[in-house]
Amino acid sequence: MSAVPGRLENEEFILSSLAPSTTQKRLALAVVLILLLGFFITAGPLSSVQLAPVGAFVPAYAAAMLVNDSITAVLLFAQFSILRSRALLAISSGYLFTALIMIPWMLTFPGVFAPRGMLGAGLQTTAWLYIVWHAGFPTFVITYATLKDRNPARRVSESSVRAVIVFSIAVTASFVCAATFLVIASDPLLPHLMLDTVHLSSLWPYAAGFASLLSLSALVLLWVRRRSVLDLWLIVVMCAFVIEMVLISFPVPARYTVGWYAGRVFGFLSGCLVLFVLLHEITTLYVRLLRAMLAQRRERQARLMTADAVSASIGHEIKQPLSAMIANAAAGVRLLDRGTPDLEEAKLAFREIVADGLRTGEVIDGIRAMFKKNARTRTSLNIHELLRETLALLAGELQAKRISVRVQTDEVLPEVKADRVQLQQVFVNLFTNAIDSMSSNDGPRVLGVTSEVHSSGGVIVSVTDTGTGVDPKQLDRIFNPLFTTKSHGMGMGFSICRSIIEAHDGQLWAVANGSSGATFQFLLPAHPADHPMKTSERLNDHPRVCPQVLGQQ
Amino acid sequence: MDEVPIISIVDDDASVRTATARLLRSLGFSAHAFASAQEYLSWSRLRETSCLIADVEMPGMTGVELQEYLITNGHRTPMIFITAFPEDRIRERAMKAGAIAFLSKPFDEPQLLECVERALQRNQDRPNNP
Repeated sequence: MSAVPGRLENEEFILSSLAPSTTQKRLALAVVLILLLGFFITAGPLSSVQLAPVGAFVPAYAAAMLVNDSITAVLLFAQFSILRSRALLAISSGYLFTALIMIPWMLTFPGVFAPRGMLGAGLQTTAWLYIVWHAGFPTFVITYATLKDRNPARRVSESSVRAVIVFSIAVTASFVCAATFLVIASDPLLPHLMLDTVHLSSLWPYAAGFASLLSLSALVLLWVRRRSVLDLWLIVVMCAFVIEMVLISFPVPARYTVGWYAGRVFGFLSGCLVLFVLLHEITTLYVRLLRAMLAQRRERQARLMTADAVSASIGHEIKQPLSAMIANAAAGVRLLDRGTPDLEEAKLAFREIVADGLRTGEVIDGIRAMFKKNARTRTSLNIHELLRETLALLAGELQAKRISVRVQTDEVLPEVKADRVQLQQVFVNLFTNAIDSMSSNDGPRVLGVTSEVHSSGGVIVSVTDTGTGVDPKQLDRIFNPLFTTKSHGMGMGFSICRSIIEAHDGQLWAVANGSSGATFQFLLPAHPADHPMKTSERLNDHPRVCPQVLGQQ
Repeated sequence: MDEVPIISIVDDDASVRTATARLLRSLGFSAHAFASAQEYLSWSRLRETSCLIADVEMPGMTGVELQEYLITNGHRTPMIFITAFPEDRIRERAMKAGAIAFLSKPFDEPQLLECVERALQRNQDRPNNP
């Protein structure tokens, strides 16, 4: 189905472009306040209290962070694949980066897997990896904040999304590997951040200060450009980053102090919170999306039911004289079949049959009058938009029946003045008929829809199918209200379509394509304001397009 | 039963009721047509009806309401419904209340005749058959 719109018309259901609600803003503020409260409790004299190194703490913390940040990265990459904004790619890579850097950080941590750390790490390795981590992530956030308001037209193309994600993952992983290698290899050359495996040197506050400054810049930039839910929670994360670094560094920079433990816990909790919020938001959005879809389906059913109700009420009007005709005919046969035929009564019966036959004809004329009544609900509309919308409504059915859709349109199409719902009924009827006629077809199933400018200045729409086609002898009859080749339905569809189009001063006709399907075409005059026409050029003055002639083409 | 059975038709559509009455007469029954439920209920020979054919959708009292009214007032005339607007919900309600048949318009002679014969059979089997 090449033509049915697959792209998101609006992004109101995408988290990274959704404005935060007041509740979310309050929650974010509350989290920051709690973080600050925790900071003031643990900072100060309590912060420097030295605790025993807990062997399991580092691997447990690192594993939890790794899982948490990987899931966040996956969710953000998924959002990127939909929105294809470079900013989202940056922040997804940022989360992937924090997840991946946990691995060397944990492996090289002295006393966890080996007394001096694994991977041939030196005394300084883990501390420098920490700085890379805490300077790296804010850099990704700054990149995100800088890119996020860029022109949406400069998005990654739809076809290259997969390649771009794979490339970003590869670059991020390579960067983490390279940073690990460099930090380990240049261990003797790097400024000493550690005095021993526990105490940090006097240079540490400068390194940590640099990383904190980056986080602060990211925070300020996000604050200035804050717009979405994602921005809001990244602000919270950046606050937690700064608080964590301050707790580790002041007043006494050392590992395993109360401040060091508390900093980790704060960092981890804020990371989790972001993930929880993301998950909660996505679930909520899913529910909203589902509701919107159900509402759309209901609306569609309501519309189709209107068509149903119209044909049912017309059906009712036709069935009444029909019943009378059948009863009178049967009575006529009985009356003539008697030993002494009751000729007078039989004549009466036949006269009534004639009257009821005429009455049926009037009912059909009445259909036209019925559609004419609604002239005031007409608005100026673009046919192409309406037909795309209708195709989208029928997308599920088209997909289920494996029918591909080809849509062609002239670039500039004049607007027409029409009743939107009625015109959509015409489309639904024509499309449904095409779908039905192709559903038993083993060959290619293609629904072709073209909308072009007609020489009269109006719009001509053709609906072509590759179904069973129409018998050329029946071309006229299909517009008869009771004509149907289907086992179900009353066959009112084409009659209603023609009535609607004619009530709009247009024409509808059928063209037989031999055995290769049918084409239905209709012509509507352009909206006078959109396409000024001289009185002498009015559509009605043009020779009417003759269905028979077209049928022989 | 020597008398010709009386069949009543209630339908607001004039063509349908006269044509149906004509058909039933040509089949040898005594048929009486009424334009509304009220008209039928005020008929003096109401109790002589052996089979009642009624349209479902009628202004004023509908066919199903007529059926309910007759049942609550002790009339147990077998009923055949005819409708151009068949709805399962109404069909179920009518059949549950003891209708003989629920025919969709247009119906043909054999269908109608078969239902009428069943109705007359039921009428004969009734315990208080006059």
